[in-house]
Amino acid sequence: MIGETLELTVVAVDDIAPSLRHVRLAAADGGQLPPAAAGANIQLRLQGEARTWRNAYSLISQPGRRDEYEIIVRRVPESRGGSAFVHEVLKPGDRLVASWPGNLFAPQRTARHHLMIAGGIGITPFLSYVADFAHNGTSHALHVCCRESETGTFAPWLQACGDLNYYWDADGHRLDIPALLAQQPAGTHLYVCGPAALNDEVIQAAADAGWPASHVHCEHFGAALSGGTPFTAFLSRSGIEVEVGESESLLEAIERIGATAPCLCRGGACGVCVTGVLEGEPEHRDHYLGAAEREGGQLIMPCVSRARSARLVLDL
Amino acid sequence: MSLVFKPEETFRGDYTYRNSDAAILRFPFPFPEDRYMYSVNIEPHVRSGPTDAFCRPFDIDEHYIAECRDRALTLEQDPGRCQVLPHMMTAQWDTLELLMENMAADYPEQFSLTKEGDVFGSRWTWINRPLGIEQQFIFGDPDTLPCEPFEYITRQAQGDFAICDQREDNLYLDAGMITSQADWSLEFNVGMNFMEWHGPVPLAHQAGVFERALKYLLMLRLGQPVRRLNWTMSINPRLDTSPESYPAWGPDRASVTVENAGGKVHLRVELQTLWRLPRSNAILFPIRCFLISIEELARVPKWGKRLHRVLSSLPPELAEYKGLTRYLPATLAWLAPLDDGAELATGTGPDITELAPV
Amino acid sequence: MMQSQIVSRPRYRELAAEDTAGAHLLIVEGDTLAPGQMAALAAAFAPVADRLQTWLVSAPATALALGKVRKLQTVDEAAAALDALQEGFGIADRLYLQGTEPFMWSLATVAGRAGLSASQIRMQHAGSLKRRVWCTHCHQTTENVTTNIATCAGCGRELLVRDHFSRRLGAFMGVMVDAEVPGEVPQREEVFP
Repeated sequence: MIGETLELTVVAVDDIAPSLRHVRLAAADGGQLPPAAAGANIQLRLQGEARTWRNAYSLISQPGRRDEYEIIVRRVPESRGGSAFVHEVLKPGDRLVASWPGNLFAPQRTARHHLMIAGGIGITPFLSYVADFAHNGTSHALHVCCRESETGTFAPWLQACGDLNYYWDADGHRLDIPALLAQQPAGTHLYVCGPAALNDEVIQAAADAGWPASHVHCEHFGAALSGGTPFTAFLSRSGIEVEVGESESLLEAIERIGATAPCLCRGGACGVCVTGVLEGEPEHRDHYLGAAEREGGQLIMPCVSRARSARLVLDL
Repeated sequence: MSLVFKPEETFRGDYTYRNSDAAILRFPFPFPEDRYMYSVNIEPHVRSGPTDAFCRPFDIDEHYIAECRDRALTLEQDPGRCQVLPHMMTAQWDTLELLMENMAADYPEQFSLTKEGDVFGSRWTWINRPLGIEQQFIFGDPDTLPCEPFEYITRQAQGDFAICDQREDNLYLDAGMITSQADWSLEFNVGMNFMEWHGPVPLAHQAGVFERALKYLLMLRLGQPVRRLNWTMSINPRLDTSPESYPAWGPDRASVTVENAGGKVHLRVELQTLWRLPRSNAILFPIRCFLISIEELARVPKWGKRLHRVLSSLPPELAEYKGLTRYLPATLAWLAPLDDGAELATGTGPDITELAPV
Repeated sequence: MMQSQIVSRPRYRELAAEDTAGAHLLIVEGDTLAPGQMAALAAAFAPVADRLQTWLVSAPATALALGKVRKLQTVDEAAAALDALQEGFGIADRLYLQGTEPFMWSLATVAGRAGLSASQIRMQHAGSLKRRVWCTHCHQTTENVTTNIATCAGCGRELLVRDHFSRRLGAFMGVMVDAEVPGEVPQREEVFP
């Protein structure tokens, strides 16, 4: 079990809701895939006509399954293009290159109870969580905030869920976060994955209620905005200048010109792509750098962050 | 490489353990230079390296059967050498799968694994020919094995194994099969985080070695294992140099003389690898121990000379921490005549393909 | 010897109430209380006084305490009382311990079994530096050790008391001091008064 990239074939695509596409993938050579944990993701290289996207998606297949990976991709209206590609272009039989599974959102094995809060497509990592907890007989509860019309969409993956609750935006159906967080026993771990507003609200409510930070976990997914005003990046070590367009990330621009940059999550969380800034002012959009590092202005996470100045000089 | 086991050799009592010429030449010698100091000496665990001992994910050599027997003896006397905290069951199955798959793939004459499926609940059949074991079981169901899965498979593997749970940006030593350790106690250390269990190591904390190593390991990726070497010395080819049995082996340290050092003093090298486990997201930490007497080691001239130079220049804190102080002078006196002072090539390889006859 | 280069050694700091919505339990080893210390604790815990219970263990009858007060005779009694808490702990609760290391870790271990995480427990050392020592050879513990070398209560070996500390056992490691040369035992000195 040693390797870095996987060659995959699209086995099937089907739309489980107007903006949600379910994609099944298998090893292109017909062999076994590496097993993966609850909460794992893979990074897919999506080769469009004019450009390439590298997007990370949570695996929703049963943990440990080695014949197929499953993902669900939401079409993002302000999409950078990757999700639109999956919805419009990708079809059965297509070949894709993917990373081996990574995991930045694994469940805490010491927990006595797992409390999950999902917002919209943020439910995807919890689909594999539920399968894991059900197999291990671990106490868990899932609270899903979504459109009323979508409450049945994920049912096929949640049949084993011991405690499943839906909320939507109507009187009597909204999730009362402080009330939910107030009465949880010691040993509970809280996980939230959803839009930034929900994540922030849950994290703040947990802090206000006195939850230890060590018991609160968040996955920032997908629509981490990486586009914005175009700017120029100069890679000082290789002496190359690159224009970063409004709909691509700095990391994607660097990769487009053939430079290699280490990266893992492509969402500003893991810290692997951290790069030195020699000149210019970064616009930080990551979840990794501390306040002092941000203010220092000498580091940037190119997978999500951009520039306030017209030009950045990078130690790359 | 064909494997010819030496099932009768012992690691206690009469200490009949010896290395064949081939085993000497494949020894993972740890010193690329004439001086030694701690570093984050981590590299990808790929199927190549300075000697054959590096070339397979889980190395098995001529000592396999004897080592498994020695482990069983130690466990019989002290079952606490295998400890698994309750939240580590998924990681136990990960370990069993990783070891069985790799052993069967790399040593098909010795081991085989047949699966009727991959997910928990599938029926698997494991055959270990050297130890005469055939076991059918349900992957994911501990009741279908004679003991828990981690103990089951590590009783059939060479080297110690620890599993670290990853949480709170730290690694916790939450499981271990530790019967051939360089003087640390699993019973005492189980449950400790990375900084705590490395607490007693001198000098390295101040150098920031552990902070950097931890940061690196937290990002360890599935499919990309890494390795490093660690070393110490032992008197006699004794696998069980635990603190628990220190009263039994401690006196050996006072028995070394210049005359007997060549056969008594052993270089003890740990080929440590680190693996991200797929289902549990834990990290498996196999510690594969290789023992070689300095007499055997010195049959590779480069290694004998280099060991002399490394030991001569070792900082006293390190010599003390590794427990060498008492017998270091006799060891140096034994090695000194072999060292002509000639410049040695950088690197750890033996730089010869055949040993001169004794 | 409270400061050590060995990083497995816990660090203790002055107790301060964390103003969380949960319940707060303060357990004090009474016979380590220096004059004025109870008043300092009372000031520190005033913000959570309405959610506070104070357990005084082996305290003088005259000791005053804040919040709902319970008096207990021994650390074992306190441990049993912690174990028996019917309602269990909540995720926002906090446990504060003050006393000698063996006292604090005896109770922290019980609280951990009840589900409390390390991040919900705060400790402040007070009183003697005496240590609980765990024998690496027979795995028994020896209490009230104040010297660099101690006789193991389990196997009788002379143990060198190391700085390496296990939170799970609440004890320091003891290793036979004369294993290599029997009888070669260094001078015994009082180093943890």
